Amino acid sequence: MAIRNLIFEFRDVPGISNLDVWEKHGGYDGLKKAVAMERQTIVDEVKAAGLRGRGGAGFPTWIKWNGLPKNYDAPHYILCNADEGEPGTFKDRETLLKVPHALVEGMAIASLATYSRVGFIYIRGEYAEPAWQVRKAIDQAYAKGYLGKNILGSGHDFDLYIHMGAGSYECGEESALMSSLMGERGNPRLKFPHAPLPTVAGIWQAPTLINNVESYCAARWIIAHGSAEYAALGTERSKGTKIMSVSGHVAKPGNYEVEMGTPLMELLQAAGGVTNGRLKAVIPGGSSVQIMTAEQCEKINLDYESCSANGTLLGSGGMMAFNDLTDIVLLMRRTSEFYMHESCGKCTPCREGTRWLYKILDRICSGGGRQGDVELLLDVCSQIDGRSYCGLGDAACWPIAGAIKAFRHEFDYWIEHKRSPVGAQCVPPAFETINPALSLTAS
Amino acid sequence: MAPNSINPLADPVAKPVALEESAFLFSEEAVAELEEIATHYPERKAACLPALWIAQREYGGSLTPAALKEVAERLGISYTEVEGVATFYTMYNLRPRGRHHLEICTCLTCSVSGAYDVVHALEHAMGIHLGETTPDGEFTLSEAECLNYCGAATVVQVGDKYFTNITPQNCISLLDQLRESPSYTPAMLADSLVKLHTPGAGFKGGGSYTPEDLG
Repeated sequence: MAIRNLIFEFRDVPGISNLDVWEKHGGYDGLKKAVAMERQTIVDEVKAAGLRGRGGAGFPTWIKWNGLPKNYDAPHYILCNADEGEPGTFKDRETLLKVPHALVEGMAIASLATYSRVGFIYIRGEYAEPAWQVRKAIDQAYAKGYLGKNILGSGHDFDLYIHMGAGSYECGEESALMSSLMGERGNPRLKFPHAPLPTVAGIWQAPTLINNVESYCAARWIIAHGSAEYAALGTERSKGTKIMSVSGHVAKPGNYEVEMGTPLMELLQAAGGVTNGRLKAVIPGGSSVQIMTAEQCEKINLDYESCSANGTLLGSGGMMAFNDLTDIVLLMRRTSEFYMHESCGKCTPCREGTRWLYKILDRICSGGGRQGDVELLLDVCSQIDGRSYCGLGDAACWPIAGAIKAFRHEFDYWIEHKRSPVGAQCVPPAFETINPALSLTAS
Repeated sequence: MAPNSINPLADPVAKPVALEESAFLFSEEAVAELEEIATHYPERKAACLPALWIAQREYGGSLTPAALKEVAERLGISYTEVEGVATFYTMYNLRPRGRHHLEICTCLTCSVSGAYDVVHALEHAMGIHLGETTPDGEFTLSEAECLNYCGAATVVQVGDKYFTNITPQNCISLLDQLRESPSYTPAMLADSLVKLHTPGAGFKGGGSYTPEDLG
């Protein structure tokens, strides 16, 4: 088990974002096969491959695909969630930049499988560069008849549009993304079981399929190469590959597509190992998941089950490694600042709770920590967890609670000594007291 | 104290004044673009985000109350709704920005890779705080939440372009480069994002649903 490139198989081929090069490397073979298949057969292939959603939650993709109405009677839509915002993740950016046709093809296949005539790719506003690669790919696909009227003579029509976001982490949450697409503030909505699933009533109350960029690309690979080959990879319950974005204190940061179940330390080695010191901690799946100590990392394999068993999550695959000069409390202060900024403000536990978390952590890091602050943090966390409209509230408190569990002594040190246990400096100081040597990492 | 830029409430938005006197500024091409984009969705309201991008370009890089009013009128929705949307998303500029808007990612990976050092170096070089604009109107400096290019930390976004692997040393030459460049302005970013919505040359139309389909 190790690096295994499926979606990124031709990532480094020059000009692979162009249709002619993509076709030379087997591009649109999956769509040609899908056109000849029954709708249900396509869904069954995805089911047999055991593909689970790659956006973070790991929900079985085929259940969504199977959930849409099986006729043309009423409008229904497919959406691609390319609003990549999870700190530490940059897999979708590279996918859109390098292999945009994989996404376009994957969505065309999904439209056949769900009888959808219209699709939207929701891309975050900051991603203008990658979005233009997708736009070019869409134009080329229209010209060749892979999109538009009567795709490859199948009698199926499919239009694909790009919709650009405007700077909001919250819009990566599926119900908030739908609000945003409909021209509203990116607030989440009530979810199942309190409201119908998107596959029953999504955008404009029409059945809607939402998948991550990586999920569509993986589905395209499955249809092109067969489910058996995909299901042969990975573990019993986590099939196939996962693109991991490795960053932080590593020698060769970047995107690595690994077989599910690859040991975390093996990936860390592939990324060149830790720089400027020894490994202290790893966040395996983006900022929303629990931080793991170096000892815990030895036991973790990169699949959904192994991560859960060790008290963290695979999430979106944004793996950040930190060396022993990193101050975990300062890191958590920055994390809580992120969630405070990105909380949409719709529900009270998240809106108020994320501010409480930030204020307490900022107080500790400003030398004003009090005895009992750690308990207060845990108390606030327990009052957000599971009580917010969407996952942002949970995501704001899991890393804090996780860090207290794994690095409690650092929080206590800050409160007792009013300074960093590793000698790192505090928050960005005011303009007048600038010292260029200051940063979160001790130098 | 942390800088004000992290607290959206500390950054109040200008209140609408004398809206009835404002004239519509969208050019003919802009109106055509908006009408084209509106056909992608079963209701006009859905074109609100792209319409605000058009307004941001037509009004020279920022959304004034008059710009919000024009969007509301052209889409047939209320001013309040448009203001609600415009204030929610961070990339809509509610106040004028400098000719180049530098957004420095200081989120997790960037912050442990020296992003705050870059912030300080830029503050020194420009003589302004985070969230401010230089007196000559050339640069605005802001802190950004994760820009999701963590493998190339520290990342600075200027207009539609990401500048990567920025250090306290090379950020000074970045400023020099930007000073001489006509590109990467907020209006050009808005223009790029608007054009992404409009169909390209190969577009023939396929199965778009009409409002009637929705019943």
